[in-house]
Amino acid sequence: MIDWLTGPYAYDFMQRAVVAALIVGALAPAVGVWIVLRRMAYLGDAMSHATLGGVAVAYLLGASLVIGALAAGLVMAAIMSLLAVQPKLREDAVIGIAQVTLFAAGLMIIAKADTGAIDLSHLLLGSITTVSAEDLRVDLLLGGTCALLLAFIFDDLRTATLDPEHAKTVGVRVNLLRATLLTILAIVVVLSLQTVGLLLSVALLVVPAATARLWTRTVLQMTFVATAIGMGSTFVGLTASWHADTPPGATIALVCVAVLVVSLVATLPRRATAADDHLPISKNRIGGP
Amino acid sequence: MHNDLNYPSIEARDLGVELAGREVLRGISFSLKPGEQVAVVGPNGAGKTTLLRALMGLVPRRGDVVLHGRGPRPAAFVAQRSDLDLDFPATVLQLISCGRRSSTGRHRWRRRVDRQATERALARVGLDGLHDRGLRELSGGQLQRAFLARALVQDADILLLDEPFAAVDSETVESICELLNSLASEQRTILTVSHDLPLVRTHFDRCLTMNRTLISDGHPDEVLRSDELERLIFSR
Repeated sequence: MIDWLTGPYAYDFMQRAVVAALIVGALAPAVGVWIVLRRMAYLGDAMSHATLGGVAVAYLLGASLVIGALAAGLVMAAIMSLLAVQPKLREDAVIGIAQVTLFAAGLMIIAKADTGAIDLSHLLLGSITTVSAEDLRVDLLLGGTCALLLAFIFDDLRTATLDPEHAKTVGVRVNLLRATLLTILAIVVVLSLQTVGLLLSVALLVVPAATARLWTRTVLQMTFVATAIGMGSTFVGLTASWHADTPPGATIALVCVAVLVVSLVATLPRRATAADDHLPISKNRIGGP
Repeated sequence: MHNDLNYPSIEARDLGVELAGREVLRGISFSLKPGEQVAVVGPNGAGKTTLLRALMGLVPRRGDVVLHGRGPRPAAFVAQRSDLDLDFPATVLQLISCGRRSSTGRHRWRRRVDRQATERALARVGLDGLHDRGLRELSGGQLQRAFLARALVQDADILLLDEPFAAVDSETVESICELLNSLASEQRTILTVSHDLPLVRTHFDRCLTMNRTLISDGHPDEVLRSDELERLIFSR
């Protein structure tokens, strides 16, 4: 078993790969907690598609694809924040508009580039085994910044997610907070480029957080459990992909889903019991403790 | 205790609100003294909730509003709870702690003094011992008291309450009334929206009736007479 777990990491490129995977495996679920609690799971998927435009432009300009994707993610966050001032547009509509704008722009740029086929498959599906030392430094810098920022706004995020109107009355700048969360999300999606790829980044954002929700009672607990599941799943997924010769991104995503399925089964009796327990408690306790 | 009795706690002058191109409130003027408990009564759609939200600055408004009290946020608002996500992973203590953000700023509610203030508020609304409960595990009355506790930890001089007696049992109504009396005796000013007319008659000394604009302002026995109520309903 030990050999199975450690064998792949005798190689330098796999050592770099596992560090990159663990960074994303820790950070994406921590951000995903807020995506799940705010019922914005669609946003993770939309953000990953929207980065295509930035990647295409960066490719044509010969610039860093990561910078291109990051710029597109930030543009999406800005578009969403601008559209959010119109209360008649619901959140899902705003996400859809921002996504389709940038995705369509990306397809248009690729079609008009006329430079032969642009191979974006490694971005769409991930190419974790090609992570360089320079990539790792960028991942650590961006990931560390996001983690610190997330910790700094944690309390305000909880207040605003639980009750946005009350949050405004106690001084939380709800729109600024939302824009900050979107920016962090954009960065996390970019960091997922090389691990699970854009198309599967939603797996690390949403699935560990949804799994953690089954086991926990507070947001802080949910964050720690989601992060542990994310890191565990990326490590096991990467290791399994080495032995089974399967795509790392897809394997990591399937490990996340497997943990969710096991958790669903394991918590079914517990949740049923809890639901049964709560009903009479509520009914019996109306009027006082 | 807190307010200078020479100044009104709440003063609204020619207050108006327009939402989506529709005039919801117009020409509302009144003032409340420190320690007053005042009820707001009106038919459905009269703009009672909008009035509270306008006083809090949660909707764009015309006219002047002055909230007189300590600190940058002298008023606490307890809204109706129909839109709250009860499945949110938070304990009662965490819900109430959110109110401390108003007076102590980001992160600082974790200080011992804030924790003590939160526990005092829990005890004051009769929820001590339930601090570790999830929101879904509370009854309607307990949840309403938890929201009152969240307003209490803000230590605000003015409390704006939107239907605090709705969907709770008579025992909870009684305990909320006792709490409001106790807060009023500390010179806190309380403005309560309610459609429970018998309760307004028995508990409040002053009542504002409104239907998009202020119809009458006086003792409940006077402004809730049947002819006055008829005028209120058909006044729009």
